Amino acid sequence: MENSKKRGSFLVRWWFTAKMALHGIVANPLRSALTILGVAIGVASVVSLMGIGEGARRAVVEQFESLGANVITITAHDPSVEFDTEYHEELIERVVGLEAATPVVSDKASLKWRRTRGRVDFLGVNNQFPFIRDHELASGHFFTSLHVKQRSPVVVLGYNVAISLLGGRNPVGKSITIDGNTYRIIGVLKEKGIGKAEDIDNKIVIPYTSALKISEKRKVDAIWAKAASKIEADLAIVQLGRIFKRKLGLDQKAPNFASAKEGEEEGGKEGGEENKGSVKPVPKEPDSPRPTLPSSGDNLITITSLNKLVQEADKANRVMTLLLGGIAAVSLLVGGLGIMNIMLVSVTERRTEIGVRRALGAKQTDLLLQFLLEALYVSIIGSIAGIAAGIWGLDIFENQGFQTAVSFSAIKIATVVALSSGLVFGVYPAISASSVPPVEALRSQ
Amino acid sequence: MALLKLEDIHHSYKMGQINVDVLKGIDIHISRGEFVSIMGPSGSGKSTLLNILGCLDIATRGTYEIDGNRIEKLSDSRLADIRNEFLGFVFQHFHLLSHLNARENVELPLIYRGMWGNDRKRKATEALEIVGLGDRLHHLPSQLSGGEKQRVAIARAITMEPAVVLADEPTGALDSHSSNNIMRIFKKLNKELGMTIVQVTHDYEVSLHGQKTYHILDGVIERIENVESGGGV
Ligand SMILES: Nc1ncnc2c1ncn2[C@@H]1O[C@H](COP(=O)(O)OP(=O)(O)OP(=O)(O)O)[C@@H](O)[C@H]1O
Ligand SMILES: [Mg+2]
Repeated sequence: MENSKKRGSFLVRWWFTAKMALHGIVANPLRSALTILGVAIGVASVVSLMGIGEGARRAVVEQFESLGANVITITAHDPSVEFDTEYHEELIERVVGLEAATPVVSDKASLKWRRTRGRVDFLGVNNQFPFIRDHELASGHFFTSLHVKQRSPVVVLGYNVAISLLGGRNPVGKSITIDGNTYRIIGVLKEKGIGKAEDIDNKIVIPYTSALKISEKRKVDAIWAKAASKIEADLAIVQLGRIFKRKLGLDQKAPNFASAKEGEEEGGKEGGEENKGSVKPVPKEPDSPRPTLPSSGDNLITITSLNKLVQEADKANRVMTLLLGGIAAVSLLVGGLGIMNIMLVSVTERRTEIGVRRALGAKQTDLLLQFLLEALYVSIIGSIAGIAAGIWGLDIFENQGFQTAVSFSAIKIATVVALSSGLVFGVYPAISASSVPPVEALRSQ
Repeated sequence: MALLKLEDIHHSYKMGQINVDVLKGIDIHISRGEFVSIMGPSGSGKSTLLNILGCLDIATRGTYEIDGNRIEKLSDSRLADIRNEFLGFVFQHFHLLSHLNARENVELPLIYRGMWGNDRKRKATEALEIVGLGDRLHHLPSQLSGGEKQRVAIARAITMEPAVVLADEPTGALDSHSSNNIMRIFKKLNKELGMTIVQVTHDYEVSLHGQKTYHILDGVIERIENVESGGGV
């Protein structure tokens, strides 16, 4: 009996204390709204800025991942060091962990299909291309090593090229004219997406033997290799660095192994002063067409592991995301200070009310809870409004063509920080409300 | 036996470095069912005394017992319980909460008691009927006259059926008509419900409604006046 009465008593008191705290907010609608706005702006900026940062990070990662896993690109930046067309085979033999490699020739050629004429980027590779780039075919099949050896006039179309030439119809088996010669379409690559995999969707792929002929070259300026795993890719880069250093050792200019950490160290050790300055920075722009573009003419060869680039870019973007979040958190803090400010004003204004409540039997805990809840309500409403506004803001960004991500962790962080700032900044005013001696509270008029 | 027992009560306020002695040795015994007035010039310490009687303040020195319980030793939480269950307060300036209507104001002590909805509403309505405001349940304080506000405040003070009602100049802000009304209610509470009433007043007429008047001067009881008939009206 006594017990159930007690329990009922707590429930009723807390329920009404919660209701009265709500009264406190409704009583001053404008003031409460402004305080809530302060919190909401903080939460919204955390959610949207971290969402933008996270979106940028994902864009970069996807960009790199579209180039294929564990791919190493070796690019010569000077005609004097270009590679023989069999050189990639030598590399596979000498370097442990390399599974496949292809010479790469890229250029432009004229294209003719019925009445359609134009110029198109082509890529000359060997039959390992789909494997190296993790790129499947939408229809047909890729060319074989025999096609490559025999310099067969066959072509595999990028997805967009196929669409724009033939609409929805299957182009496999049809013929197109490249640089005056007729090529048979034997396959179409799957869609990678806008700007992905060096814009492969808008290119055509032919055997490198044909490509050399079209661009009138005897050597290739790039080799793509694929390692069996991340670790082997890292090791392979070190080996490749040694090989090319020896190969180009007598050259006036020292080679530069950029991007890879090992390469950087070696370049530093061996290349001396001249080299240090020209170590190429990791490109971070998601829309930079080639992560391996040279930054200066000093570089003869760039050896790049995409893994490294992904890692570095990912790390850099994570740091940026956190930085953005940190900046936004400051505005959350300001929102919290707003709560504290308004609660202190409220406590001062309502001293008489506090005194009356105390005279009628309210305990310190009742008042503590009342004012704490009032602060919490502000931060709860502010959080909800802020999350909504933040997501809305991200949507606007998305519509502007940026990649964004509504990151759950950002929402979590923002909410936790907002609520705890409501608590932290509400505690002091609430304590000061509950600890006024009843007489003094009543006297203050 | 005395219900409220003040013995050798001293009270001083700290003003920076100096202590201002306000009460300088007060002995008062108030029995159950008494209706007592406290009079004295402004600044003589009447409110201070009433606050101590109401457990809103603790005397600097001396003992205060309610029904045999020493007050100075109790925790803040216990004091809140005593104020809630045992004492009812009526203030000169009513002190109703402006965003609550008449009945909700009266419900406040019942809420702090932890009483459930229907019981609480019934009790609050009863209290308002006792003070003659059964038809003003849903009026906000701003929609009530001064006299009516004070009657709501009285309803709030008595809804817990406290043993003692403490009133600090309950008629101080009212005209004579409303004052008489309040006094009639006090006498009814005293006579019919057996509540003990302690009121502070500046008005000699008002003090005559009680049975006994303590005249305070400069922190001590100057004299005790027994009112003949227990007042007219
Ligand atoms: N918190 C305080 N700090 C300092 N002095 C105080 C405080 N409260 C009251 N006093 C002083 O104590 C004295 C008595 O105050 P009290 O309010 O008890 O007087 P009162 O008899 O009720 O006067 P009134 O009739 O004007 O209400 C006054 O001189 C007042 O200045
Ligand atoms: Mg006074």
